[in-house]
Amino acid sequence: MADLDVHHPAIAASDAHAFGRWVAAAEPELRVSLRSFAAVADCEAVLQEALLRVWQAAPRVEPDGRPNALLRFAVRVARNLALSEARRFRTAALDEGAFERVLDDVAAGEASEGPDPLLRRAIEACRDELPEKPAAALAQRMGAGGAEPDELLAERLGMRLNTFLQNFTRARKLLAACLEGRGVALAAEWR
Amino acid sequence: MSDDDEALLEAVAGAYRERGPRGEVRSHPAWHDLDAAGREAAWAAAAESRAMEAALDPGGLSSTARAVLARIRRAG
Repeated sequence: MADLDVHHPAIAASDAHAFGRWVAAAEPELRVSLRSFAAVADCEAVLQEALLRVWQAAPRVEPDGRPNALLRFAVRVARNLALSEARRFRTAALDEGAFERVLDDVAAGEASEGPDPLLRRAIEACRDELPEKPAAALAQRMGAGGAEPDELLAERLGMRLNTFLQNFTRARKLLAACLEGRGVALAAEWR
Repeated sequence: MSDDDEALLEAVAGAYRERGPRGEVRSHPAWHDLDAAGREAAWAAAAESRAMEAALDPGGLSSTARAVLARIRRAG
């Protein structure tokens, strides 16, 4: 299993490409570590803020002889941000189990590795079977890479926002059903 | 779940987030309109979407990763 600290020296030297490789492998673990916060904080916002802080703090994170020091640091940053958001929104208490399990896993070097080419081909095949409008909504969000609001993506397609979101939901559900038919549980890849 | 709730869920499951005045990543406004079950469902939908995006991207990057890296490159 991968020790993502192999990227740490380059990240500490401000190599954004190295950080990209680290994020590609670290994101599933970080997202799962936030699962118990899903009802009390916006985990997408927490995750993005945590990644930005990891980038800034990477030169000051010291290796401790165990695998994935930077990922363990990131899990703690994300958890503290989520707790802070939960307090700010006065939302409920939490189950710490998922967070502790992820920390144990990454300390043992059990972080996931890069994209699976077979999974990619299966998704591409299912994507090609989508009806026109759901396919267009999916392509807009994929192309935007999280940098543009849905209102703008909907406008580009000549759709109302709700229509765009309904088409995206349809695309996501059709893809999941198609993949399931091929024996792929997409959600299990990151949960 | 109503169509309106499903639209809220899908909005929250997207990767786009506004920035605050100090550059901080802000919660999606629609997140506050979801109940606990809706927020859990949005988390699951986001995990599913990010897995798909990462699998399709040559570098294994999801929209979350791409949004963060774009911001880092803009700042640099």
